[in-house]
Amino acid sequence: MTSVDTPDQPTIAAGAPVAPPRAARAPRAPAPWFSPENGASVQLSRILFALMFLAAWEFGADRLFDSFFFSTPLRILAQVARELLDPGFYRDLGVTALEMGVGFTVGAGSGIGLGVLLARWEYVAKVLDPFLLALYSIPRIALAPMLIVWFGIGYSSKIFLGATLVFFITFFNTLSGIRSVDKALCDVARVMKATEWQVFRKVMLPSASSWILTSVKISLPFALVGVILGEFLVSSQGLGYRLNRYSTSYNITGALAIVFLMMTIMLMLTAITNAVEARVLRWRPQSSAERVAQT
Amino acid sequence: MLQIEAVRKEFTGGAVPVVALAAVDLAIERGEFVTLVGPSGCGKSSLLTLISGLSAPSSGHIRIAGRNIAGTDRDVGFITQQDNLFPWRTLVDNVALSLELAGVPAAARRREADRWIKRVGLDGFEQAYPHQLSGGMRQRANIIRTLIYEPSVILMDEPFGPLDAQTRLSLQALLLSIWESQRSTVLFVTHDLTEAIALADWVVLMSARPGRIVRVDRVDIPRPRDIFHIHDLPEFRRLYDALWRDLPAQVDDFRRHA
Repeated sequence: MTSVDTPDQPTIAAGAPVAPPRAARAPRAPAPWFSPENGASVQLSRILFALMFLAAWEFGADRLFDSFFFSTPLRILAQVARELLDPGFYRDLGVTALEMGVGFTVGAGSGIGLGVLLARWEYVAKVLDPFLLALYSIPRIALAPMLIVWFGIGYSSKIFLGATLVFFITFFNTLSGIRSVDKALCDVARVMKATEWQVFRKVMLPSASSWILTSVKISLPFALVGVILGEFLVSSQGLGYRLNRYSTSYNITGALAIVFLMMTIMLMLTAITNAVEARVLRWRPQSSAERVAQT
Repeated sequence: MLQIEAVRKEFTGGAVPVVALAAVDLAIERGEFVTLVGPSGCGKSSLLTLISGLSAPSSGHIRIAGRNIAGTDRDVGFITQQDNLFPWRTLVDNVALSLELAGVPAAARRREADRWIKRVGLDGFEQAYPHQLSGGMRQRANIIRTLIYEPSVILMDEPFGPLDAQTRLSLQALLLSIWESQRSTVLFVTHDLTEAIALADWVVLMSARPGRIVRVDRVDIPRPRDIFHIHDLPEFRRLYDALWRDLPAQVDDFRRHA
């Protein structure tokens, strides 16, 4: 309805010259320097902002605040380098990655699976509705100590904690996504004598794909949150254990270095999911908000 | 070919049951182009939905080639006002949908889709997604998506309704040229009298709700027709005036009852 990139040809001659889509876009006038549309300016301001923040931290240390409590960017950077050279770090990283990977897969798999199932089985969905909402309302963190009791102090308690956080996000999104499928699109396939299975696979699932993918993207950091929390409580390995060991021994530099590394890992994972999302949802018209966010 | 006998449709879901159609009778011969006009809310669209098999009449029969319809059928195609293209499919995959559902191999359905895309002048846009196409282009895709599997009866529910006047005219001409080589049976709903007369062999006028058939007129304009100048013909004017005299009566009647 709103596309103006490819104006309709008023003639109907089959051989009429037609521009391929997206080819003929009017050149845009350069945006003013302090416009959110100006990618270079935004990028430069971001770097400036980061540098100012880090400089204030570095020079404020032991002048404005005690570096024992807050460390300094340079000390943290040096510690990050030491971590990256320490085989022990990679052992802990491996443990956390395994717990997170399994927890995320189990959580997202069961969330999407049950979401699809209940979307197809409206009666059961209606019956279970208040119970699921009640479960969702439990602060999952509050269950953590009991999970240790139920699942032991090994991998499974951390995996379960990560999985429950992921499960509800993906479950509710999948359910809403399939429920919000346009009935008119299903009817298009039905008129062509599609089986109900075909309607589901060719219409409902792709139509809900943006909801499902978004939930996968949002829930990924929660898998890490759950795993780290589990490692905080009881464990002898993993990044959460490492972080906890540093902070309980008042090694703030070490703790912040681990936090920095966790943040970096999360950013990389988000970049990967964004790329997957952009690829799978390339049919979606890009909103101007998204365009700005990607500059 | 298409027989509608004493078809009645009530909607009982709401607070007050609504009779959308009251005893509709209509017989359409194979290869005829029939347009259906009437005031809005008169049940034109309901009638198409019943013929498509997406919903069942409360009473009465609908027969295609002598068979009672039970559910949807690949003999009947339904082209809606909203293009309803799948936004996640490229143009060519949208057009080939029906063939894909029927299990036609990829190469064959691609070939067939390309042929139709070329025929309506959309070549070059095969890999475009619906949001990259204009309204007129999307509606062309919507039409060939149904024509490609060659249903013998084609239902069209105001397919050119949302388009601007120019695009509308060019698509009417395109539709007629395709239909003249295809000769499928067409039942075309519109609220535009000009369109109704220009396209049809028969114009059917329906009453305000509950919908009944008020009059059926034959359009004695030879084919192939020149859609751009058809308004100048005396036959066109005569029928237009006759229908226009009856249509407002139905609209007023509808207002009194609403």
